[in-house]
Amino acid sequence: MTTLPDDFPVDETIEIHETAEVAATISDAFDRDQAIYPIGGGTALGWGLPATRPGTGLLLGGLQRVIDYPARDMTITVEAGISMQALTTQLATEGQQLPLDVPLADQATLGGVVATNTNGPRRFGLGTVRDYVIGIHAVDGQGTAFQGGGRVVKNVAGYDFCKLLTGSMGTLGVITQLTLKLKPIPEQRALVACALDDWQAAETLLDALVQSQTAPTAVELISGSAWSSLAGLPTGGSPPNDPQLWLVVVLEGTEPEVRWMVDQLLREWQELSVTEAAECTGEQAAALWSALVEFPATESPLVLRASVVPSATTRMMAAFREIDADCNLQAHAGNGTVIARFSVFPEAGLSRTLIAHLQPAATASQGNIVILSNPAKTEMTPQCVWGGNAAPFALMSSVKQKFDPKDLLNPGRFVYRSSTS
Amino acid sequence: MQVALPTQLIDRLQKILGAERVLTAGSDLMAYECDGFTIEKNSPDVVVFPDTTEHVSQVVSLCNEYEVPFIPRGAGTSLAGGCLPVGGGVMIVLTRMKEILEINLRDRYAIVQPGVVNVWLTQALKGSGYHYAPDPSSQGACTIGGNVATNSGGPHTLKYGVTVNHVLGLEAVLADGQIVRLGGPAEDSPGLDLVGAIVGSEGTLAIVTRVWVRITRNPQGYRTMLGIFESVEDATNAISEIIGAGIVPAALEMMDQGILVAVEEAFGFGFPLDAQAVLLIEVDGLEAGLDHQRDQIDRLCKQCGAREVRRAETDKERQQLWKARKQAFGAIGRLSPSYCTQDGVVPRTKLPQILQRITEISQRYDLKVVNVFHAGDGNLHPILLFDERDQQQVARVLKASGEILEECLACGGSVTGEHGIGVEKIHFMKRMFSEDDLAVMGRLRDSFNPHNRLSPDKMLPTAGACGMEQTHPGRHAAM
Repeated sequence: MTTLPDDFPVDETIEIHETAEVAATISDAFDRDQAIYPIGGGTALGWGLPATRPGTGLLLGGLQRVIDYPARDMTITVEAGISMQALTTQLATEGQQLPLDVPLADQATLGGVVATNTNGPRRFGLGTVRDYVIGIHAVDGQGTAFQGGGRVVKNVAGYDFCKLLTGSMGTLGVITQLTLKLKPIPEQRALVACALDDWQAAETLLDALVQSQTAPTAVELISGSAWSSLAGLPTGGSPPNDPQLWLVVVLEGTEPEVRWMVDQLLREWQELSVTEAAECTGEQAAALWSALVEFPATESPLVLRASVVPSATTRMMAAFREIDADCNLQAHAGNGTVIARFSVFPEAGLSRTLIAHLQPAATASQGNIVILSNPAKTEMTPQCVWGGNAAPFALMSSVKQKFDPKDLLNPGRFVYRSSTS
Repeated sequence: MQVALPTQLIDRLQKILGAERVLTAGSDLMAYECDGFTIEKNSPDVVVFPDTTEHVSQVVSLCNEYEVPFIPRGAGTSLAGGCLPVGGGVMIVLTRMKEILEINLRDRYAIVQPGVVNVWLTQALKGSGYHYAPDPSSQGACTIGGNVATNSGGPHTLKYGVTVNHVLGLEAVLADGQIVRLGGPAEDSPGLDLVGAIVGSEGTLAIVTRVWVRITRNPQGYRTMLGIFESVEDATNAISEIIGAGIVPAALEMMDQGILVAVEEAFGFGFPLDAQAVLLIEVDGLEAGLDHQRDQIDRLCKQCGAREVRRAETDKERQQLWKARKQAFGAIGRLSPSYCTQDGVVPRTKLPQILQRITEISQRYDLKVVNVFHAGDGNLHPILLFDERDQQQVARVLKASGEILEECLACGGSVTGEHGIGVEKIHFMKRMFSEDDLAVMGRLRDSFNPHNRLSPDKMLPTAGACGMEQTHPGRHAAM
């Protein structure tokens, strides 16, 4: 059962067990001008601007049926409230997976993952939510149930609601059912790690990976005390007081492919004079993998995520480190995604830190910064939470207006800048 | 209904673009009256060739000022009438915007203008170790802007995905002339994925003037095979077995006996003429894994009753197998004077069923149908053979085509995998989607294109879009 934060402004919650109930509830809310908060596993309620308007919480965790799993077609159709763990277990029976690497998978629901566009380390090699959703059912802000896509892997009929609703934070429609494209689970996974002296050393290796003969599914650059407590990572040459820095490359495939890639990567690194490199194995590898997946959801005074061009990854990491010398960092370096878990809430305050330092650094690298979690909830302004870049928020607001004219779905929490929210 | 454009508008267009970038003579306009879907034709009133995004924006603003429809066009290779100027008006041809603006290997992207021909990008990347993955068979002619509009596929979508999986960002001119930038080389822009909504919107939401695309690392090697089967059912079972074994081939294409005979007559590749179906299967990736995958596929095909699995041992042999597949459409001329291709999709496990139904339908309408298609992702291209001089036969082809697409829907599929809805399949939208679904799609279009002046009467069935009755099937080439 999902527990809501005490300050979450719901004056009633409704447990949904049938998709038809979603349309009925929203239709009723539309008549009463009542706000609706779609809630899956409740793992991402701190994401976005804080909810302030009183409303009805729609608890969607009861929508967990598997509608159709034609494993030979490598697709599955499920209700949106299924937990990521339950989905993963179901798919594993057929040797298949949805490779999104979602933290808190036993609580997080598929619908929530799609609505928040949650992705993990393997986005480098295997893509993100938008690459896997091929069919979607949702209910808009007037209580109209609608769908887009279908159940086949290739389909260009009609507008692509699968893309439009991915990452829309439930503000265009409450997602009730999804059809997914799947991947086979690879025979083997290897994690190869090396310790690095400084950002420049990391740059050299990341640069070399562009022409590597190997085909990594994840390229992770990690730094900070949260990582040094893990066993199995090679020790580096940096002075003991400095935050250490590691590059972890994830290689997947058949056994001979993975063996070849591990050897090849170590050879390529040796040519670049990397000495402290090794394959992480057994329980240590499992612990490292789990840490890489769970990192963004681990409680911290503040968690920020920067998305920049991949070549600016280390520059962005250094910018975070300047604000908080003890922050823990994880970068999906092949994608330019940098997640910073702060050790303390920035002394200068959130607005000043973001607006004066971090947002300009991200913008200079063609990117942006968002707040993943801020338990203190201070200074959660639109400018801080969603950045002040040149994204066409007005156009997005006009789309929103057509889907949810009364602004009832997750009101005031997303990027829209209309007068009603 | 088409109303003559005010001469003042033409004058102002010429002032913006120069007289030589504005076509108004009837003979010049004729080339722009249809795309690869040739049944329905309508001439635009004027065709313009902008060089810059600002030009596109100015042209769009003028169209709004004079309240005339406008429509973007790339190379015109689309197959469903997506760039047919239904209501006339101003056609904005983007082929002069054809620069590759940047290639960035370190950040794995390229920036192109919409008129860049698909294959130019891969040619520009030659030697870099990277390529642009979407490769529609028309890639030597079609533009990346057009690929974005139709969300183009191609033979390699099975492993690498379609256009939308490779588009990171767009610069676009909206229906009111405003220029916006959506997404870009950094991922996860805050807000809605409007890039994902615009890709595949068939030019009805915005005019794309710049595209940030992902570039893909080249595979280390390939293994290409030809499985020869005694029955279509055995071949389709083999497809399921291969995918079911966790192998994701780079391409998995099927040809049935009808098309094999034509290909063999035309090119003499040495295909056995008594085989009922062949599968062209290619796996790519690391050398370390390829022989194993090839052996697995060989074994699975034989388990499913393959008479023989040939291997391309040299690059020349590989090229020859691909030549047979890619030139299959060229060989159809040997079978009949006219042909019509459909673009239905079914879950791949339903392939035996749908192929059986296609045979039954063709027998019932006394038509010959041959098949060559993207079997791996269930995307059919049944080719109905006919003689367009025989009006009765033409009517039968139209009915049979409709029934085939109905069957695809009954199998849980779609009426279009990669060619688009355009005007050709607009009447099928009500079969695939409910009134509510279509109403919500209409609202999305309204939010971008409130006056429906941008590519009017496309993709969504509206009251104004039913005027064109189909009387003649298309003869267009497939992918």
